[in-house]
Amino acid sequence: MTPAERAQRTLRRTAPWIAVSLLLMAAVYVRALAFTPPEAAQGLAQKIFYVHVPSAWVAFLAFGIVGSVSLAYLVRKDPRLDLLAAAAAEVGMVFTTVVLVTGPIWGKPVWGTWWTWDARLTLTLFLWFVVLAYLVLRGAVQEPERRARYAAVLGILGSLLVPFIYVSVYLFRTVHPMPVVLRAGGPTLPGSMRVTLFFSLAVFTLFFAVLLRYRFALARLAEARARAAAERADA
Amino acid sequence: MPENGGFMVAAYVVAAVIYLSYSLVLLRKGRAAR
Repeated sequence: MTPAERAQRTLRRTAPWIAVSLLLMAAVYVRALAFTPPEAAQGLAQKIFYVHVPSAWVAFLAFGIVGSVSLAYLVRKDPRLDLLAAAAAEVGMVFTTVVLVTGPIWGKPVWGTWWTWDARLTLTLFLWFVVLAYLVLRGAVQEPERRARYAAVLGILGSLLVPFIYVSVYLFRTVHPMPVVLRAGGPTLPGSMRVTLFFSLAVFTLFFAVLLRYRFALARLAEARARAAAERADA
Repeated sequence: MPENGGFMVAAYVVAAVIYLSYSLVLLRKGRAAR
């Protein structure tokens, strides 16, 4: 089987999983809206938590992959690693966009403002711009090896923001709340809310994995076709 | 409890639109490539 045929098979097999993930996400909405109690002080707006936090977790995961895979690319120079980093960056960008949109919609009723130049919010916005620069850079450099090398360096630098964003609520005076599950001393989130959060985290992670696999297969298919066309032109 | 369900609905709808749109774009690209 040629690389192009393998990529096509992956696309065919992964497509139904995108639909499955979207259905599971609908189930997360039903669980969060109808079967999870509203928080006493914040009211219904607190339920934005079940979309905002899992999206942020996936964004961290995606840029963790971008950073580590980019580093591996610089060591091993395997073009598949470059394509995987690019796929993770694009999909991660979508989740980060959701974080940056749902955050202010939650902030307005709870903090009284759509946006504040707080450490965590500002760093997340920086990360979004770095990933945008990463994707623009990839579009601007034509030569594949040079594109991969430049992108890997930017990918590693961008991913270094992730741990800073995570610890920013501890390091700086910030309006953003602290973690309620992954914290020293155990979770403070009540049981039914915790179940909904874990369900949502699992579904968002699956959704990310499926999108990443699909996007990676698309990139591999394009690359295989470009290589075949170049070989035909040489012959 | 504060009345702020509108914000919740807005956030859920925006997130769904973004995720659904990206999924459809990817699937369309995949179908075109196949």
